[in-house]
Amino acid sequence: MSDFTKIAFFMFFGIAFVFGSMLVVRLLSTSKYDPIKSLPYECGMDTIGPTWIQFQNNYFMYALLFLVFDVETVFLFPWAIRFSQLGLMAFIEMVLFVAMLLLALWYAWKEGVLEWS
Amino acid sequence: MITLQHYLGLGAVLFAIGLFGTLSKRNVIGILMGVELMLNAANLNLVAFARFVTPLEITGQAFALFTIVIAAAEVAVGLAIAILLFRRRGTVNADDWNLLRW
Amino acid sequence: MALDISALVPELLVIGLGLLLLIIHILQRQPVPANPIGWVAFLAFTAIALFVVWRMPVAEVTWGGTWLVDPLANFFKILFLLAAALVSLASITSLAGQSRFASEYFVLLSMATAAMMCVISAGDLLTLYVGLEFLAITLVVLTALDRGTAASEAGLKYLILNAISSAALLYGFSLLYGMSGSLVLGEIATIIAGGATQAWAGLALPVAIVLVLSGFAFKTSLVPFHMWSIDVYHGAPTPITAFFAIGSKAAGFAVLIRVFMKLFIPWAAAWVPALIVLSILTFTLGNLVAIPQTDIKRFLAYASIGSAGYIIMGMIAATRGGIEAMLFYAMIYVFATFGAFAVATAVQAQTGSTAISALAGLSKRSPFLALTMLLCTLSLAGVPGLAGFIGKFYIFWAVIDQGYAWLALLGIIVSILSVYYFLLLAKVMYVNDPPAESAIIRVMPSMRLALAVSVFATVFFGVYPGPLINLVTQVAARFIS
Repeated sequence: MSDFTKIAFFMFFGIAFVFGSMLVVRLLSTSKYDPIKSLPYECGMDTIGPTWIQFQNNYFMYALLFLVFDVETVFLFPWAIRFSQLGLMAFIEMVLFVAMLLLALWYAWKEGVLEWS
Repeated sequence: MITLQHYLGLGAVLFAIGLFGTLSKRNVIGILMGVELMLNAANLNLVAFARFVTPLEITGQAFALFTIVIAAAEVAVGLAIAILLFRRRGTVNADDWNLLRW
Repeated sequence: MALDISALVPELLVIGLGLLLLIIHILQRQPVPANPIGWVAFLAFTAIALFVVWRMPVAEVTWGGTWLVDPLANFFKILFLLAAALVSLASITSLAGQSRFASEYFVLLSMATAAMMCVISAGDLLTLYVGLEFLAITLVVLTALDRGTAASEAGLKYLILNAISSAALLYGFSLLYGMSGSLVLGEIATIIAGGATQAWAGLALPVAIVLVLSGFAFKTSLVPFHMWSIDVYHGAPTPITAFFAIGSKAAGFAVLIRVFMKLFIPWAAAWVPALIVLSILTFTLGNLVAIPQTDIKRFLAYASIGSAGYIIMGMIAATRGGIEAMLFYAMIYVFATFGAFAVATAVQAQTGSTAISALAGLSKRSPFLALTMLLCTLSLAGVPGLAGFIGKFYIFWAVIDQGYAWLALLGIIVSILSVYYFLLLAKVMYVNDPPAESAIIRVMPSMRLALAVSVFATVFFGVYPGPLINLVTQVAARFIS
């Protein structure tokens, strides 16, 4: 049999194993709802105050800046591979592109986005 | 043999799934995921055409690269606004954001 | 293959303006207030528009066919730059209270204008798609910039709905690429018209046309695809609503002209009936649903949807005359719609409300604002003597010429009905008494200039449309020949 068939068998039995065991658990276990059982877990003690964590803005800002420079990298890779055949024009254009993104970074810096408060 | 029709069929199925997801999800993150799925379906089309119709040029792949980047930027902006709205309204359920109505 | 930087100079200037404003913002200790930046932006946009006028007859295809500079593109670039200049002036009034994000606002306005200019100059599908998405993302951020709840909802709604429609558009573009093997519009047109396509192209072309048409119908708010525009126009800050109505919509029409007249002309018999249906739905629904509205921004949103229904009639007469009519109507529509939204901005800045009842007795509180609103809305209605009448006449003439006299008749009837609701608005302004504790509305000099320009253009082209008609005739002749 071809390699893909072997992979197909692996995939099928892997998924079947996972879902099969979940099915067995669903069939064999009991499940009764109790409000105390669905309280958030805090090492066995009762919680004090609301249990939702305040979403910190900094994580999102760093993720956003990472995304922007990551897609810049996506464009830098093909340019770098063909750099010697592309000539001066492409170099100047890429310099302008990176300069614009550095300007955006400077703006983010000045706006205090990069400070971890 | 995997022919062009297989890729196009998969692209069409993905587009349909993405469209269904976008229109039926209430969570705004789910809606954005459906949008991503639709854009990726079009990407799949582009890359498949680049492979089968013009095997010597990679124009379709370059287009797909640009589309991936644009989709990333769009979703980032969408998430930023969704976070802003979540802070104000306390919910990501799109049904609850109904300040603007007919 | 010509790599000609001089073809890109207008866009580079606009992007340079945006980056310059950003640098000024970064270097300043305190946030810069809206007043100087707005005037700088207005002067810069006007200067760049004059530069494009100077280079109007230039026609070249550069960068391997991906960038087209022709009179059509230059005409629309002048339109977009004028729109941006007028919106800059109106923004000074709406940003007058705060300066927290005034710089970012004008940076984004410049970038949105550059995006619109890229859209109309795009010669291939990739540049076109990048330009459309660039425009969409900048408009989303402009809508949500002041972080109010309504504005953020409007921004998110626009983002999601635009993403759906541009995903459909992208799928259509991928099918066009697959049929022809090239992304350049000219080459695609030759290949699919020549019939040298794959065997399965029988289904691909209709699907591609449907998807591309629905993507552009979203951008221009034609009726089954108009739902986003009402809510987004309502939630966005009023000058940005004006920018949506005049800039984004005109960009949608410009790219519709370019793509349909270049690529899909051999199958006009297939998509013209669809456009007829869209047009009838649009001008009927846009004009009739405006009647019960109580908010001026929703009212003007429906009015602009109605106008879009008339502009698309020029596309139904898919000939040179139709294109001329579309170009003419687009230009005068910009001035009239901007005037109406600018009055709404001025009233909102003073009273904080965009309800139509806030306009009550406007003639006593500010005769200048009331007169501007009256003339601009009557132009949108198509009253003789103002530019809108000439525009509608031109459109109906082009449509009758192609044998759709019944469509023109329907358009005339709905247009006459629409005068009713515009006169209702005039009644509120001139006959009703002002609210009890209202003062004279102070209008800033920048707003006075913007309103004066729009009133002047509306009245001037109404009595003497000759120069504009000559211009659009030349532009359409260079485009279609």
